[in-house]
Amino acid sequence: MKEHPRTAPQKGFNFDYLMWLFTRLSALGMYLIAIVGVTAALLMSARQNMSVADLMRWAFMPNPNHVVNTNIPNVDTWKGIFWNVMGILMLLFAGGHGLHGLLNVLEDYISRTWVRNLLRGLVLVVWVVMSAIGIYVILTS
Amino acid sequence: MEVTIKVFRYNPEKDKKPSYKTYKLEAIETDRVLDLLEKVKGYQDGTLSFRRSCAHGICGSDAMRINGFNRLACKTLVRDTGATIIVQPLLGLRVIKDLIVDMEPFFEHYRSVKPWLINDEPEPEKERTQSAAQRAIFDDTTKCILCACCTTSCPSFWANEQYVGPAAIVAAHRFIFDSRDKAAAERLKILNEVWGVYRCHTVFNCTMACPREIQITKAIGEVKMALTTGKLE
Ligand code: FES
Repeated sequence: MKEHPRTAPQKGFNFDYLMWLFTRLSALGMYLIAIVGVTAALLMSARQNMSVADLMRWAFMPNPNHVVNTNIPNVDTWKGIFWNVMGILMLLFAGGHGLHGLLNVLEDYISRTWVRNLLRGLVLVVWVVMSAIGIYVILTS
Repeated sequence: MEVTIKVFRYNPEKDKKPSYKTYKLEAIETDRVLDLLEKVKGYQDGTLSFRRSCAHGICGSDAMRINGFNRLACKTLVRDTGATIIVQPLLGLRVIKDLIVDMEPFFEHYRSVKPWLINDEPEPEKERTQSAAQRAIFDDTTKCILCACCTTSCPSFWANEQYVGPAAIVAAHRFIFDSRDKAAAERLKILNEVWGVYRCHTVFNCTMACPREIQITKAIGEVKMALTTGKLE
């Protein structure tokens, strides 16, 4: 009787779906970036020269400015394009993830379409502006 | 034993605001809250209004808030409530009178997910067959009696009654995962909107409230999964 598995072809990629998916994947993405950060830091002598607090700070934002005040003798290996990209990804994921949470709260409580769309737009603007500032800081430090 | 039952009273045609009335009556442990309400209405205060029909947990008409939990009055024993019982109408729906709420917004959401079999293919000679395994996928959600306990226990619904609510998603689940039905995509499209499954934040109130013990949050999760993967089995 069972010919082929049933599927739902037109699932429709709308905004709500994409953001719902993004929120889940970005959470996993942030864990991954943090794990890479911690692992690399340990390989780069964090165990001898850094406190756990500094290590955590680095894990969640791999920026050389977070290393200069530790006992790490030379921050050269803690700089560079790779860590810039990691930092930017963390920023985009964290900002998007958190602001989508805010968006969810708004959508839970606001039923008027135009107000909701206005606030959605506002949240998007906040995300873009904050991300732009963050990326600027990362690239210039 | 003597029980005290405090009932929400409101007649919008007469009362300025709602109030509570307390009744005392004799009961035994195996009496149900519905029995108490019937006794109050029959012997103490004929103006008390509430819905009930089957009195056996199958029609879904006597859902109400009993000691803060959404329950069917006909399935709630005095043994479980204790001697002091507070009865209120379901939250999130307009009160028509006393414990009777306007169920229309609830049924409107229910209808929005097309809770009927859709299959335009030519009818087979006998019946549309289905294996036991295919039936098992949506067995749980066939048990819904539309009492609205779940939807009116959901904070997302309280916050915004445009949310289709757990009961409508359960109804959609029942047909989305039915191998004889051909409109899964149509229903998933409706639930993929902003007032669809994304308003569910896995609070689990619905699952706890359901008098039929349907795993509602799980069913909603399965619908989300179908939206993500496009797979229906
Ligand atoms: S009266 Fe029918 S479910 Fe309680």
